[in-house]
Amino acid sequence: MKMFSPRVHHLRAVEGKLLFLAGAYLLAGAGVLYFLKPAPSTAVVLVGALITIAVFWGLHLFWLRTGFAGDPFLLPLVAVFSSTSLVFLYRLNPAYAIRQFVWLMVGLVTLLLITRLPLRYRVLADYKYLYTLTGVIGLLLPIFFGVEQGGAKSWLDLGLFQVQPSEFVKILLVLFMAAFLAENRLALAEGSRTVMGIALPAPQEWGPLLVMWGISLLLLIFQKDLGAALIYFSTFLAMVYASTARIAYVCLGGALFLAGAAGSYALFEHVRMRVEVWLNPWQYVETAGYQVVQSLFALAAGGLSGSGLGAGLPLFIPAVHTDFIFSAITEELGLAGGLALLIIYMLFVYRGFVIALGARDDFASLLAAGFTALMGLQTFIIIAGVTKLLPLTGVTLPFVSYGGSSLVANFIILGLLLNISHETQLVNNTSGPIDFSSNYWRGRR
Amino acid sequence: MKTNIRRLSYLILGSFVLLGFYIGYVNVFLGPVLATDPHNRRLAVYESKVHRGTIYDRRGTVLAQTDGGRRIYPLGQDAAQVVGFISQRYGRVGLESAYDRYLLGMTEKDKIEVIMDRLLGRPRVGNDVVVTLDARLQQLAMQLLGKRQGAVVALDPRNGAILVLASSPSFNPNTIDHPAGRSSSGKVLTRYDLLQQDKGAPLLNRATQGAYPPGSTFKLITAAGALTTNPEVAKRIFNCQGSLIIDGFRLTDTAAHGSVDFNRALAVSCNTTFARLGLEVGAERFYRTARAFGLTGDPWTGNPPEVAYRPGTLTLPEKMNKPQLASSAIGQGEVLVNPLQMALVAAAIANNGVIMRPHLLARVQDPREGVLLQTVPRPWLTAVSPEVAGIIKEAMVAVVREGTGKEAALPDITVAGKTGSAQNPKGDTHAWFVGFAPAERPSVVVVVIIENGGAGGAVAAPVAREMIRAVLTAGP
Repeated sequence: MKMFSPRVHHLRAVEGKLLFLAGAYLLAGAGVLYFLKPAPSTAVVLVGALITIAVFWGLHLFWLRTGFAGDPFLLPLVAVFSSTSLVFLYRLNPAYAIRQFVWLMVGLVTLLLITRLPLRYRVLADYKYLYTLTGVIGLLLPIFFGVEQGGAKSWLDLGLFQVQPSEFVKILLVLFMAAFLAENRLALAEGSRTVMGIALPAPQEWGPLLVMWGISLLLLIFQKDLGAALIYFSTFLAMVYASTARIAYVCLGGALFLAGAAGSYALFEHVRMRVEVWLNPWQYVETAGYQVVQSLFALAAGGLSGSGLGAGLPLFIPAVHTDFIFSAITEELGLAGGLALLIIYMLFVYRGFVIALGARDDFASLLAAGFTALMGLQTFIIIAGVTKLLPLTGVTLPFVSYGGSSLVANFIILGLLLNISHETQLVNNTSGPIDFSSNYWRGRR
Repeated sequence: MKTNIRRLSYLILGSFVLLGFYIGYVNVFLGPVLATDPHNRRLAVYESKVHRGTIYDRRGTVLAQTDGGRRIYPLGQDAAQVVGFISQRYGRVGLESAYDRYLLGMTEKDKIEVIMDRLLGRPRVGNDVVVTLDARLQQLAMQLLGKRQGAVVALDPRNGAILVLASSPSFNPNTIDHPAGRSSSGKVLTRYDLLQQDKGAPLLNRATQGAYPPGSTFKLITAAGALTTNPEVAKRIFNCQGSLIIDGFRLTDTAAHGSVDFNRALAVSCNTTFARLGLEVGAERFYRTARAFGLTGDPWTGNPPEVAYRPGTLTLPEKMNKPQLASSAIGQGEVLVNPLQMALVAAAIANNGVIMRPHLLARVQDPREGVLLQTVPRPWLTAVSPEVAGIIKEAMVAVVREGTGKEAALPDITVAGKTGSAQNPKGDTHAWFVGFAPAERPSVVVVVIIENGGAGGAVAAPVAREMIRAVLTAGP
């Protein structure tokens, strides 16, 4: 094995130790599942766990070999999410766990491919209008060719499996926003003209943003995918704020959002129902409110320490394996388990922002902040939804809920975050200037 | 820009912290309510897997038992309201509901055992509950009430253990969801449906949910207020003319009792004397005294309730005029109490002024590992000073020895008591007797009310006498 800078070695050593803990966590969960029903057919869970551990370790060793200097905490944190996901999906329905396992492998390979091209993400900044087009097409397709699941028409049926384009379009959204804002943020922040004493930027500067936002929102209304719309919109606002620090934009965005919300409340029955159920679920306890009420029962059933893995009754919640998996986890691992998971998400978000703050330039910084905000907001929105703090909108709990598109998309985000941090480490550890235009690292492999 | 990103991170991480607190709130504070919500299917699933525990009385007599998947109540109608029932259709009431978590083995202490049972594949068995009730006394009380409407309460004033909560008319809890008739539209009605329509309200636990005017038994509270305000009252001589005029309102007595001292006034239940004492005490202090005896309170406040309890009601002092005060002082007017409440009033006097917290739970025991939980007697209220309690006790002995309560007297046992014949809108007076024995070292309080039964001394006192005899001759 070639030796790289001591810094890289140190980073990967931290990662190794943490992965060891994550592996122990997965083995413990898989062991419990096996001993709950010790039969040869159940042994698949142990095999799956060992393969998962091996693949995570393989990725770690590969990075060590190639001198990848990405953040050492993100992979172990994601390993904990993936372990939780596999264990709980197996416990809820083994068939889902097996499919999720396949998607996890796809996600990890995607991650490996992305981190093989650590500095190529910069190229992405140059093609921002291309993604806008790709994104729009991606969102349009399900409206015409899509299949409906759980009230939202946001899936494309590809025969072998179904794809949810909005999960990938959210990555394009962040990429576009980061590229656009990095280029125009000064103009946006200061304004190039004055209207009634208020500095305003020129239409050509904010126009594309607004159009992008409007298109995505309109499409989502047609797809009835409220959760994705909410995430897109809040991420949009977070990134505009991060780049311009102009509260006026956030207020304007908030006002636009309220107008949109009021409009869809008035226009769409399904939106009205969501709000009604949120305000008074007990009135709809046998109908539309059934799911969220069952979720509350599950949250309360576990007490502080939980009923224990496999001993709760989370299957009373319809579709518990996707949006409601957090309730199942809290029922069986208790308040302690639920809060622990929440804290792990906080650590993920924390590392994401650390990467954003250390990034080399505006584009990288905005990109990292955008992805992190996206992950954080998505986690907050779904957990707040299943606990009835906010109206329920169907989105996945990142890395944990069942869903291939979501999982692979999240691994792409993870890969890009890692690449940004890799670049930061590189700059900090090299005395001489680095030519980023050349394939500096390619020669080393 | 880095500052903005830092602020954004604070916002997002901060909202996670809030979310964490909110989830904690749902789990810890809403948890108990959610766990017992009728829409929560977990309870039913859990129940179907658990062999529900048995409820025993203080002597080990079975009050409720699961046998072959059916819940059986051997005492039938004799303890129906207090023990309650479980029904797929009508839920659970009474002790069956109050002790659900013990009977199903759902307490914190059971958690380890639940895990052990699961690991070893043992069937889950709930805990047994032993209550302070005495099945024999309960049956005797129902027998003495017979077909009459009313209630009997017996409790131990030294520790608050409730021995009897009898309520008549009653029902058979074993057949609660059996079909029993048809409605006018041809719909099949169960026994429960019919009981709900019954004008005699058999489902009501009169002993704790009744709302009766207390009549002269309330003079105990008036006496306590007067003696606390002015101890000289005990030595005063009163003159009863047979009636009293207060602000134009004429309060008549059963007779002109002439010149009476305090003991005599209570013994003959002199209305004019106690109306005067009530006026002397004043509305404010009168109300305070009633509250000190727990009149408007619920002894289960702050603890899991064991019975459905209707606290007493009394007009607020600022809304009470003099004629109202005078009639409240003799237990008429706008005072309403339940029988257990009057038993607690007597218990205060029997126990040197201190009311012990009434309870039904004696202990919870695991069929394998013995006692899990035991009730520790605790004081609830201090109603009066020991001196005042002593003076009233003496007067109550006089009531039974030479006054209106002679029918409650027993050979060799000194019984203390107070009768009441409470006027009410429904006809003949409600017959009350409130008492305890032995007066020297009281170990049992008995309260009897017979609705529209007539004079307390003639109708209720004999029932109380038989109850006291049964308690004191049967041993512990």
